[in-house]
Amino acid sequence: MAHIKTWFGDIELHNDEIVGSQVLNADIDAMARRLQREDFADFDKECRGRLREIAIKLQVVSSEREYVSLLRAIMIQRAKERIVTAFAQPDARIIQLIDGIDDIDESINLLSERLSEWCLLTSETSMPEDLLEAFASSPSAQSPLAQEFAGSISRLCELRQETASAIELEMRTTAPNLSTLAGELLGARLIARAGGLGSLARMPASRIQVMGASKALFRHIKYGTKPPKHGVIFQHPLVRGSHPNIRGKIARILAAKIAIAARLDFYSKRAYPELLSQVEKRVGELQTAAQPRTT
Amino acid sequence: MKITPHKVAGVFLLDRQLATKGEALYGERTFDGYRLWNPRRSKLAALLMKQAHVPLAPEQIVLYLGAASGTTVSHLADIVSLVYAVEFAPRVARDLVRLSERVENIIPLISDAAQPDYGPVVELVDLLYQDIAQPRQAEIAVKNAELFLKPRGHACIIIKARSIDVTAKPKTVYKREVKKLGELFDIESVHELEPFYKAHAAVIARLT
Repeated sequence: MAHIKTWFGDIELHNDEIVGSQVLNADIDAMARRLQREDFADFDKECRGRLREIAIKLQVVSSEREYVSLLRAIMIQRAKERIVTAFAQPDARIIQLIDGIDDIDESINLLSERLSEWCLLTSETSMPEDLLEAFASSPSAQSPLAQEFAGSISRLCELRQETASAIELEMRTTAPNLSTLAGELLGARLIARAGGLGSLARMPASRIQVMGASKALFRHIKYGTKPPKHGVIFQHPLVRGSHPNIRGKIARILAAKIAIAARLDFYSKRAYPELLSQVEKRVGELQTAAQPRTT
Repeated sequence: MKITPHKVAGVFLLDRQLATKGEALYGERTFDGYRLWNPRRSKLAALLMKQAHVPLAPEQIVLYLGAASGTTVSHLADIVSLVYAVEFAPRVARDLVRLSERVENIIPLISDAAQPDYGPVVELVDLLYQDIAQPRQAEIAVKNAELFLKPRGHACIIIKARSIDVTAKPKTVYKREVKKLGELFDIESVHELEPFYKAHAAVIARLT
């Protein structure tokens, strides 16, 4: 006696004969919902080879052709639902936003360079970094096209601000511990690199430490050069603001705590504000220990 | 232009370019009802270009793991009778779903091939085709073959050496993976996909 649970219903088989069955009407929505709702156990190959035949015998469908077209319609619907859920996850939104920030930065740089080149040509302003201010204070001195250009750049800067605050908001609710410890933007970047909060939570601290330094890491593995000390977590003020001698140690400590923070955020959502002060304390100790040598 | 049939039924050579019959689906070039099939965009095309014996036949049902946006799947659907196309990444799966809405013999499955949850849906298949960038490629192939592949059914498994071990030589990786596959399959042949793909090989095997 074999009991098999398939997409079109539950079937009891005995000596290759169908002895009992509970099949669904050929209703795409109902069938798709059942696939989502219920658990299905695997069944043996002999039954699997007879799925079409059984479905026709039980009059779920009238032909093999219909079997394929009904199943296809159901699975297209399921696939669409799954894609929508995947994109509705908060970490998917965070990844989109942080990628957006990177795109904006790239555009701002590109356009600023073009604008400064352009102004050198007309030799009206000297330093590129003063350009936007110069435009703001005396817009009439510039050609209208250059003004448009500068306006676009400053609009992009505003957009960047707005995107950054959107990330901060999302991060505060989705990953509070990671936000406190690493900062919202760096935390978001880590999530994006890992491909989601779940993947970051499953990552070992050592990998978080060098995430974003993969070129250096593989150069190390392949050719035996020095291993990288930090990847994107270099952007953290505790790492960036410390003496190069102890940056590696700080990066290691910070990465370890980030791993814990990500796990807390993903599995429990409980706020645990001590994480940052613990890191700060260790960093403080390291800095005082390093002092005599550096002075 | 000279049109000659390829060894594999359903595949054609237009002069020396690979093609299948049908309408353009992803922006590929067409010629007189034939869709050109670029061996640099599809590992199956690369394998066919290398004149390998690929176990494809018109009546086959195929389980395709790692369908991505469906470039290869769309050509495969021109050759065989039905393709169950599995893809996990939602970004590319969107293209795959769009494709399956246009092509009658593609069934899209948004699932992780490493943890197959399509058990109640997929019937017994004649061919398992796998092209996934995962370090545990061989294990995934074995698991899916045990569940879904017909006895004595064929498997065509693309090994991406760089996904398994970047530091080892590709040839070493192939050997290791082929050995793992040998526990469940009879290995029929192994083809490197140079010059179309670097550090990729295709293993053609048959369930013991």
